Amino acid sequence: MKHRPRLQDAFAKGLLKPGLNVVEESEKQYANNVVGLKQCLEDFKQDIEWVERLDMTNGPAADIIAIAEGKSVTQERSDIDPDDDFQREMYFYRQAQATVLDALPRLQRLKIATKRPDDYFAEMAKSDQQMQKIREKMLSKKISMEKSEKAKQLRALRKYGKKVQIEVIQQRQKEKKAMMTAVKKYQKGLSDKLDFLEGDKVSSKAKNEGGEGSAARIAPQKKGLNTKRKFKNEKFGFGGKKSGLKWNTKDSHNDVSSFRSKIAHSKKSGFGKGGRKNANKRPGKRNRQKMKNKAR
Amino acid sequence: MVMAGKRRADGGGSGSGKRSRGAAGEALVPGPVSRGKWENKERVLIFSSRGIDFRARHLMQDLRKLMPHSKPDTKMDRKDKLFVINEICEMKNCNKCLYFEAKKKQDLYMWISNVPHGPSAKFLIQNVHTLDELKMTGNCLKGSRPLLSFDPTFDKEPHYSVLKELFIQIFATPHYHPKSQPFVDHVFTFTITDNRIWFRNYQIIEEDAALVEIGPRFVLNLIKIFQGSFGGPTLYENPTYQSPNMHRRILRVATASRFMEKQRMKDLQSVRKSEERLTLPKDPTHAVFDTPVSEKTSLIQLEPPVEQPRNTNRKKRLFKRQRIKLRR
Repeated sequence: MKHRPRLQDAFAKGLLKPGLNVVEESEKQYANNVVGLKQCLEDFKQDIEWVERLDMTNGPAADIIAIAEGKSVTQERSDIDPDDDFQREMYFYRQAQATVLDALPRLQRLKIATKRPDDYFAEMAKSDQQMQKIREKMLSKKISMEKSEKAKQLRALRKYGKKVQIEVIQQRQKEKKAMMTAVKKYQKGLSDKLDFLEGDKVSSKAKNEGGEGSAARIAPQKKGLNTKRKFKNEKFGFGGKKSGLKWNTKDSHNDVSSFRSKIAHSKKSGFGKGGRKNANKRPGKRNRQKMKNKAR
Repeated sequence: MVMAGKRRADGGGSGSGKRSRGAAGEALVPGPVSRGKWENKERVLIFSSRGIDFRARHLMQDLRKLMPHSKPDTKMDRKDKLFVINEICEMKNCNKCLYFEAKKKQDLYMWISNVPHGPSAKFLIQNVHTLDELKMTGNCLKGSRPLLSFDPTFDKEPHYSVLKELFIQIFATPHYHPKSQPFVDHVFTFTITDNRIWFRNYQIIEEDAALVEIGPRFVLNLIKIFQGSFGGPTLYENPTYQSPNMHRRILRVATASRFMEKQRMKDLQSVRKSEERLTLPKDPTHAVFDTPVSEKTSLIQLEPPVEQPRNTNRKKRLFKRQRIKLRR
């Protein structure tokens, strides 16, 4: 059993106090031989011209963005948070910028070229293939961003756009119907005006001017509703339950509003039916021949 | 501003520049370099140990590409002692060395050294990004001379000044080096943040200092500075350095201790539950201050309570007019 001699000596000398004596671990000393470092630096330092070394020591250049935003310009070193990637990288960028701004005039004075002429072909650090890949990647990123932007906008417009779309379609259908009825009327000879052809121009002009064309177009259509149209509207038109309704109800039977006493009490036959066509009634064969002989 | 690359037939180190064809006097015309002008004979030996992974290998290759005054070498076995490197450098006629050491296939260390007598330093490399990454969009001439940019902090501490001198001597391409290009079109930055040295490489696009990153980029964490090359007394030790093993160990212990804590609490709970509950003995002085209370007679109802007639006069209240009439 070998005790630590120092402890025994201390006890013999009476230096140990009563109580529990624990061996204290000395704190780890980190070597920092300042004198040695300086000596070393002096030994291996090379006294060569600046043009061989091209080194600069400087802080970062002025932060244009911060100045533009009006933030405090005096940026202290301790402000850079190494975890904030963007801030850190911008700091490095600005440091490089400051170096370039200082060094380039100096190089130009020493007659060292910094700008490569356009026809100087030489091997680059990255091959052309690599640069091509990089360019494609950047392009694809740009395109995908644009696509996502477009999609966002479309999604926002969709809600509003659906409403507008329905209105526009309905409007178009109305126009088409009006046009077709006008054309048919003209064909059947009911109206001999060709106003419906110009109707488009007038309405389009109105649209260009004020955008009130829809109102202008609706009004003339509504005027010409005849009984047939009215009946059909009521039977097939908008809204309400029609199919299961009774037809010959008490009220409809008792309704005598469509009774024309003049027509009913007149003795002339065919008055209600063919009265209109009386003027155009064709004479019989015998009368026609008589007329022909007379004309000769 | 990317030019089509064309491999120049380099005829043994005589011409490092080409006359610009046809452009008469508008740009600087670098003439052919004579042999005698190359004075600064720096040669850097860049090589690695065995067991290096792909990222570190690419980093090493990128550095070789960017530094035309570098010499490659085969991988060294880690079993050999480090001072063998001094002999390798002497054989290759190099006076600086960059040695990449990979341990456990995870951690990458870098030694930089001034070979015959000078100081050397060991770093831990973190956050490696190589030239091939697609986010690094810049490009530079192969072998063009770099500008070196240092943080002002490098001048404040003696150990940082030693490191600065080492970096300058290693990374600066000598003037009129046969493999170098005469243009200065990129800049290396060394910045000190968070007790580490951050390295970046930017391409100079415009004269007004518009820059684009070329790569590679890495972070150096200083471990020690030695007086001799790959050995010798320690001049400086970084107090904030934590070895990656220690870091991993701390993480592991933290997760383990959380689990152990939970277990211990559970055990404690079970022990406490199984313990016998103490019942205190009856205290005779407890009832000393109690005053006697007279006993209440208990009322026992034998018959149901009498039903009270409800007040029905409420609704019989007359209207105002009638009330007035009555009053009269």
